[in-house]
Amino acid sequence: MSLKCPVCGKLKKDPVDCARHMFGTGDKPHKAWFEAQGLSYIDLLLSQATEPGNKAYIEVGGLIAKAQQG
Amino acid sequence: MTANKYSVLNTRVHNVDGYAKVTGRATYTFDVKLPGMLYGKILRSPHPHARIISIDPTEALKLPGVKAVVTGKDTLGVKQGIWRRYPELCDEQILTIEKVRYIGEPVAAVAAITEEIAEQALDLIDVQYEVLPFVDDPMEAIKKEAPMIHEGVERNVNVTRHIEWGDVEEAFEEAEYVREDWFKLGGQAHMCMETRATVASYTSDKKLTVYTSTQSPYYHQALLAGVLGLRESDIRVIAHYVGGGFGGKFELDASQFCASILSMKLSKPVKIVFTREEDFVATKRRTPMYYYVRTGVKKDGTFCAREARVFSNGGAYTGMGATALYLTGFFHSFPYKWKAYRYDGYRVYTNSLPSTSMRGFGAPQAMFCSEQQIDWIAADLGLDIIEIRRKNAHTTGYEVPGQATIGSCGLNQCLDKIEQWIKDRGKLPKNRVIGISAAGFMTGGIFNWFDTPYSFSSAVVTINYDGVVELHVGAQDIGQGSNTTLAMICAEALGVKLENIKVHSGDTDHCPADLGAWGSRQTLMAGNATKMAAEDAKKQLLEFASAKFGYNIVYDVDIKDGWVYNVARPERGMHYVDLVKEALRGKDGQRIVGRGHYTPHRKGMISPAYSYMVQAVEAEIDAETGKISLHNCVTAHDCGQPINTLGLIGQLEGAASMAAGYGYLENMPVEDGKVMNPNLVDYKIIRAPDMPECEIIEIDTYEPEGPYGAKEAGEGLTNPTAAALGNAIFHATGLKMKQAPIMPEMIVNAFKEKKKGGGTP
Ligand SMILES: [Zn+2]
Repeated sequence: MSLKCPVCGKLKKDPVDCARHMFGTGDKPHKAWFEAQGLSYIDLLLSQATEPGNKAYIEVGGLIAKAQQG
Repeated sequence: MTANKYSVLNTRVHNVDGYAKVTGRATYTFDVKLPGMLYGKILRSPHPHARIISIDPTEALKLPGVKAVVTGKDTLGVKQGIWRRYPELCDEQILTIEKVRYIGEPVAAVAAITEEIAEQALDLIDVQYEVLPFVDDPMEAIKKEAPMIHEGVERNVNVTRHIEWGDVEEAFEEAEYVREDWFKLGGQAHMCMETRATVASYTSDKKLTVYTSTQSPYYHQALLAGVLGLRESDIRVIAHYVGGGFGGKFELDASQFCASILSMKLSKPVKIVFTREEDFVATKRRTPMYYYVRTGVKKDGTFCAREARVFSNGGAYTGMGATALYLTGFFHSFPYKWKAYRYDGYRVYTNSLPSTSMRGFGAPQAMFCSEQQIDWIAADLGLDIIEIRRKNAHTTGYEVPGQATIGSCGLNQCLDKIEQWIKDRGKLPKNRVIGISAAGFMTGGIFNWFDTPYSFSSAVVTINYDGVVELHVGAQDIGQGSNTTLAMICAEALGVKLENIKVHSGDTDHCPADLGAWGSRQTLMAGNATKMAAEDAKKQLLEFASAKFGYNIVYDVDIKDGWVYNVARPERGMHYVDLVKEALRGKDGQRIVGRGHYTPHRKGMISPAYSYMVQAVEAEIDAETGKISLHNCVTAHDCGQPINTLGLIGQLEGAASMAAGYGYLENMPVEDGKVMNPNLVDYKIIRAPDMPECEIIEIDTYEPEGPYGAKEAGEGLTNPTAAALGNAIFHATGLKMKQAPIMPEMIVNAFKEKKKGGGTP
């Protein structure tokens, strides 16, 4: 299921890929999106980087997908 | 062997400043003495993390001979840094006002009539601290409960960097074998022969002259202007001779800042020379890193995907560490073609000495992990270690997706030569083993984070009445021999002899701006500027020659070895000096002046050109003591067109020595934020008897972006050696070295394990 980055509009192949793009870009507008959702960019980023699995990407990807479906 | 097509290039030349150096006449900053000069010393923090409550200098000022004490409150309090384009990364005050963040951080500075009195005065300054909890490991510093080192920097994450191309997940699915490893890399001291040193002299006409040991006089001119509230042009930075930099001397340091502040306060010259201990504990170091690497390959050894993750120990301030974080991710893909690649880097503030650029700039760390893992993969799949590298090697014209285009690449020729060398070496003596590693490196960084409007490199060539050519460059010779290289390029381009060239560098009042000696910029960038300036001057001369000879077009005339001649009939011509005299008369007495400049445009994200190398080290490993001795170090090296082959060998041997030290000797333990071995007894470096035979096999390529086809040599070779050594140990013991430097106890344990298991584990 392809998705658009809610910040820059880049097309990504699935929710995890889109979340990965958002963390990887990590510039001010992308970080601001996290805050607007009530999320902590840095906490999610570090949980993704230090814990096994793709928890943070799945959580963020899910939110993006839900927003775009809605 | 093909004949040398050049008159000056590709020959063996002693450094143009060699006489001055060997006769002791070369003036280093330590040698500078000015009338009425005072001596400065710096009071440093004993705590890794503390709030400064008060600083009382009263008793120190009472000591006879003490002239001034300065603290952060005597400064403008500017947070400075080299990243002027990204102000949030300019985070260092040098003389801190509120808080100290590492042991050794400057708190106050004293000027006195002797160094001894200044030293005594430090004990009399009363500083009250509120000691704060500290953290000195990045994996601890990112925890939620860790103390915050810089206000507002959550989880102490200073910088993040991401590099990605291709579909990584898909490429991992295509892989038939996947391997993942964690590595831990230590710090390394720059260990310059000349410690940080400055003499600052401020006069009441608001002019500041700063003699200092620097890799970039222009950076220091600009940085000092920013923190002192002066105009750039009112500051003159002089650094005629520098005893080494290795990446540690192009940021503003405390000797420059404190000597300047004291001199401005007293209107007297002030000299500050760091002790060796200060150079260890209170300057920056190579970046320690935690490195995660996951690699997917086909069974035949074709590389599919790689994912890397780095947590670097940034220490208390950013410095150049953000670039090291990016470059380690970029060079971790080198020198191979990856269908898909992903890198995530996290630079973490800690309460330890800051980490910054150092020769190799993140690449030695990357290579240690990558090149060892490749040997482990080859062993698991039963593949040849040369063949797996050859199969995936960069080639000329390859594009690193979104990052770089490879204009020239001799990597496969390097692999061929090393393969042959190993075959020729035959059966090795007992306990000896060979390990190899490949590497690639940049030829000058395309980074303008300093946000300067000037060219990256500039040169001015002036020709005198007697034919002597004055070459003014901003590029700083820090001992690597760049003045000789540039003199050779100038002589070749003009068609005159090397002894006709006088190089002037290291003085911002007389030399054009240049970003400095870092990232292997000099030969390519300053070399291009020099070549352009020399060609500009030559063109002007040839216009006179053409007019004199009466030929119909300028291109009929050329200059070689000091003879100006008709290209079709070389015997028809005149001596270069005679032409210069005629030209001067023709220009109404005006000297011929040529100008050149270089700034890379549209050359990718990193560098205009890349060097390549493959190294084999032959090591002897003592099973009882764990001692490693190096016996041979052979490098096949592609640096494009060599300029000065003698200088090239010197640079490559120096790099191999530093790289081997990084691999197995230069341990820099930091406990509770404190460097535990800040002296030359306990900090082990390679000494002359430890140095192996070094052989360089030069691979001929031509780099289109470089002057005469030249590219980097001398920095890149700090990259492969530690990995080659790790690979030698792997082939001897079967143990995978996941920590650098490799310490003797790791080897002893490996042999014990092997004995217990009755064979290679
Ligand atoms: Zn986006």
